[in-house]
Amino acid sequence: MHIDYWPAWIGGIGIGLFVLLHFWIIGRPAGCSTGYGNFCALACKRVKFFHTGEYEDINNTRLWFLLGIPIGGLISALLSSEPWHWSFSMGMYDAILPQSDTGKALWLIFGGMFLGFGARMAGACTTGHALVGGAMLNPPSLAAGVVFFGSAMLMTWLLFKV
Amino acid sequence: MINKRKLNFLSLLLGALFGFLMSRAGATTYDLHAKMFLFEDFQLMIVIGVAVLIGMIGIWWMQQQGWHSIGTGTPIQFPRKPWQKGLLFGAFLFGIGWAMTASCPGTVPAMLGEGKLPALFVFIGIVLGTLAYGVLQDMINCRRDQQ
Repeated sequence: MHIDYWPAWIGGIGIGLFVLLHFWIIGRPAGCSTGYGNFCALACKRVKFFHTGEYEDINNTRLWFLLGIPIGGLISALLSSEPWHWSFSMGMYDAILPQSDTGKALWLIFGGMFLGFGARMAGACTTGHALVGGAMLNPPSLAAGVVFFGSAMLMTWLLFKV
Repeated sequence: MINKRKLNFLSLLLGALFGFLMSRAGATTYDLHAKMFLFEDFQLMIVIGVAVLIGMIGIWWMQQQGWHSIGTGTPIQFPRKPWQKGLLFGAFLFGIGWAMTASCPGTVPAMLGEGKLPALFVFIGIVLGTLAYGVLQDMINCRRDQQ
């Protein structure tokens, strides 16, 4: 599924203004990865971590924010020049990922686990740390953002160039 | 001040807006991630750079003026994520996941809306990884209680 994307600076202005709009409407910073814990809370009643602290009430704005994101992706795809369709291709990654469907699925699940576990251990993901934390010039967020990029760069290099 | 149901609905709309913007910025296009990390294309680097700059100026302005949130009616909160134990190692693991999947927890739901099926497996992985962290925390807390 090909998406017609805008020039980078327009996309940047849009996302920057979105960060401010989110603060104004919700009164708190935007974030994505914390909301995945709400799904864990729904699936596992016995894990205390997902029923205390920030997960005390899981019917919250974080959960609904995550549920809204696919709607935006769908609208963007419907407005793109290519008609909407299911797609399996990952572009350049098809050449370096396992070739069998099972292998590819397992690779992506493992990659997702690194994202989920790493985001909780770091306290936030690209949105909470790099984007919003970076805009607040918060030192831990800036450090996390640098490590996100550095480690992804190293791994991508290993995948494509070695 | 508006009620919880309306605030959740507004958050759903904000999520849709964010998904649309990420998609149009190119953040859901797999190749742009590889090309950014290999220094072949700077689309996503410019996107995040410009977005952070706009956010920085706006947040500074909102703090100066003491803006109130229209959702809660109270002053906007700007909580800062703390230096938590394992932050840098967690960030390192996250980067590996980013490189393996060319996506992150924000773009995965947007990719699902675009019909990109690989995102379904990444989504399952993120939930499992988050779950593993929660279970581990429970075990650590349980051991601490016993001592």
